[in-house]
Amino acid sequence: MQASTSLGSACRTQLAGKRVVSGHRYPNARIALKPAKSGAVASAVVAEDKWLARTVKEVATPSSLAALREQSKSALATLRMPTTRNEDYRFTDIAPLLRTNVQPAAAGAAVPSELLAAHELPGAAARLVVVDGVLRPELSSGLSGLPAGTYVGPLAGAPEAVKQKLGSLSNSRGGPFAVLNGSLVPEVLVVAVPAERQLEGPLFVLHLASGATGADEVAANAPRLLLHAGTGSSAELVEEYVALPGGRRYLTVAVGELFLEAAASVRHSYVQREGEGSFHFKSTLVHQAERSQYTLAEASVGGAIARHDLVIQQGGPETHTQMSHFLLCGPSQTHDLHSRLTLDHPHGTANQLHKCIVSHASGRGVFDGNVKVNRLAQKTDAGQLSRNLLLVPLATVNVKPNLQIIADDVKCTHGCAVSDLRDDELFYFRARGISAESARQALVFSFGAEVIQRMGHPVLQKRVQDDVSRTLLSAEPFAASA
Amino acid sequence: MAHQILRSSRIASSTRVAQRSSRVHAVSVRCAAAPADVMLEVKDLTASIAGTHTPILKGVNLTIRNGEVHAIMGKNGSGKSTLSKVLVGHPDYEVTGGTAVFKGKNLFEMEPEERSHAGLFLSFQTPIEVPGVSNVDFLRMACNSRRKALGHPELDPLEFYAYIMPKLEMLNMDPTFLNRNVNEGFSGGEKKRNEILQLAVLEADMAILDEIDSGLDIDALRDVAKAVNQLRSDDTGVLMVTHYKRLLDYIKPDFVHIMQAGEIVKTGDMSLVDQLEAGGYATL
Ligand SMILES: Nc1ncnc2c1ncn2[C@@H]1O[C@H](COP(=O)(O)OP(=O)(O)O)[C@@H](O)[C@H]1O
Ligand SMILES: [Mg+2]
Repeated sequence: MQASTSLGSACRTQLAGKRVVSGHRYPNARIALKPAKSGAVASAVVAEDKWLARTVKEVATPSSLAALREQSKSALATLRMPTTRNEDYRFTDIAPLLRTNVQPAAAGAAVPSELLAAHELPGAAARLVVVDGVLRPELSSGLSGLPAGTYVGPLAGAPEAVKQKLGSLSNSRGGPFAVLNGSLVPEVLVVAVPAERQLEGPLFVLHLASGATGADEVAANAPRLLLHAGTGSSAELVEEYVALPGGRRYLTVAVGELFLEAAASVRHSYVQREGEGSFHFKSTLVHQAERSQYTLAEASVGGAIARHDLVIQQGGPETHTQMSHFLLCGPSQTHDLHSRLTLDHPHGTANQLHKCIVSHASGRGVFDGNVKVNRLAQKTDAGQLSRNLLLVPLATVNVKPNLQIIADDVKCTHGCAVSDLRDDELFYFRARGISAESARQALVFSFGAEVIQRMGHPVLQKRVQDDVSRTLLSAEPFAASA
Repeated sequence: MAHQILRSSRIASSTRVAQRSSRVHAVSVRCAAAPADVMLEVKDLTASIAGTHTPILKGVNLTIRNGEVHAIMGKNGSGKSTLSKVLVGHPDYEVTGGTAVFKGKNLFEMEPEERSHAGLFLSFQTPIEVPGVSNVDFLRMACNSRRKALGHPELDPLEFYAYIMPKLEMLNMDPTFLNRNVNEGFSGGEKKRNEILQLAVLEADMAILDEIDSGLDIDALRDVAKAVNQLRSDDTGVLMVTHYKRLLDYIKPDFVHIMQAGEIVKTGDMSLVDQLEAGGYATL
């Protein structure tokens, strides 16, 4: 780990980040949704938007998905894909995606056993392998060992009360890609944990995507997850997104809707390690009832353009939300996190740690993190910190952490740094005889570890850290140490 | 480094105590008999806070010879930590005057890492947490950096484990400490133990210990003091910053200095401490 180029000079000079203020949210997504007509046959709706019209073809719709499909398609009719003129996509240019033709992935893609072996999660209660959005029971394991009353499987077999919830968050608060998911999703994976059940070991959902073969084509991967954690239950969900061998040209458009009932606790790890050159758009929508606890740790290191829209609503008092994110933007990678957390009730806590490294001049990190503490949310404790590391000149981050406080009796901390490594950390290394150069390198390589370690899975951590090392070693300041 | 010479210098320095304790300012007295024995010599050191240029140190004089233990006491805010940090090259401060010579070399011409390689060590009053970096990686990097600078072969992970295990034992530290991130989530006492572990790993010649006793319960204090005593030799120097006599009962100082408003205003022996305990700073 000896770098022979000095990072010191490179790092201090390029504080190229901009802070962006102001903005409307989802101008395109204010879609009037027709009420679902149950049992209605999905009618072909012609979308105004050319790319959407090309993209949303007639997809097979199982009867359990008919309502969702119908809602999405009517929303789609008037939806336009965002451009950089839309405030919400100002820094995330999806033009490269809009030049593609999206094709449905061929059903039943082959999955090499080595790939599965390389994506274990020791200690998992079950591993659910979802290929191009479809759960593959023959590749999955642990399903039969789940405790009675816990449902993990396709929507059709899910408990009725849980089924009813499908789309209720995404229809009202999802963005354009959530709508697109509703139009393309082949199957919904449901996780339903009954009241007072404490699930032991994480449920590990491994998402695999196959690539398209044609030059302008991308294959569609539209997985969807619906999680319901009953009153007083606890569960851990780990999601990892990777490509099938050769999978470069694909579009993942994923939706997760998570419902936490009173006093439920859900730990959620989300690892985006998509194939090089792929597109990844994920919407995570969470509703937390009173006294529930939602903890998210996210690492986004793969793909070409990746965006996570995270929307969390605290629906009762004494509710706790913790979010940590690590994004690494290497050559030609744009990683965008848009998060919105709303606190409407007293005695809630909210904490967000966002860390982003941009290691290449063609990389870009985007963060728009809104934590809104409304008038009734007194005695709230909210903290938000964004730390961004730009390793080379011209590397860019557009960060807008914003903590909006309307309540008056609130404890808040708030910070944003678009800068170099922390001086006190660097000095601690140097005081112990470690050169500034080695210290920088160690601190950059471990920058994301703070977040990744929160997932609590060393094997998963290593997979992410290996990706991070690979990207960083290709970065100019470290190239010599490769 | 002949043993005898060191001994004689210790005798010489303890005789100086009597001469000096009556003075207001600690003036470094050259020991003509064995000038090579001076480990650290600070003269008329002035320093301010970088950026605001607020002067903090206003002419500090201090001479520490091989084998000596010195203690600095003084009210909060008198500049004890600033002096400690200035000596190891902390970027928050700028040296505005005076000199500091460590083992014959001008400290202020050396980078912080070079000062560490030369054998100078500061146990920080409030060690920072370094999330994401494991303690064992950090310790091994530090250890190998110094070994490399001294021309010794670096230790691979296995060799390093063998090297560090006895040191952990000496400090009564659980080996699981190695796998945790540097100081992250450590209690105050654990952080202090970890600092002394670093001192042991680096085998420094001159240890500046800034309030290693604060936040320690009596068992931890005994462990830490025992470790410091084990690491002492006739070739090492110790400078302790403390508020309490109880540490000095474990690690006996040859000299006690009182710092006030950025200067050492009085120097003596343990009797100064007893005086302090009895009547506070006002009686000095
Ligand atoms: N980095 C700094 N920035 C601003 N003020 C400082 C800094 N370091 C020390 N000071 C000030 O210098 C004075 C001496 O502090 P310090 O050396 O920590 O005292 P001691 O260790 O004796 O309690 C205090 O007034 C303190 O507030
Ligand atoms: Mg102090």
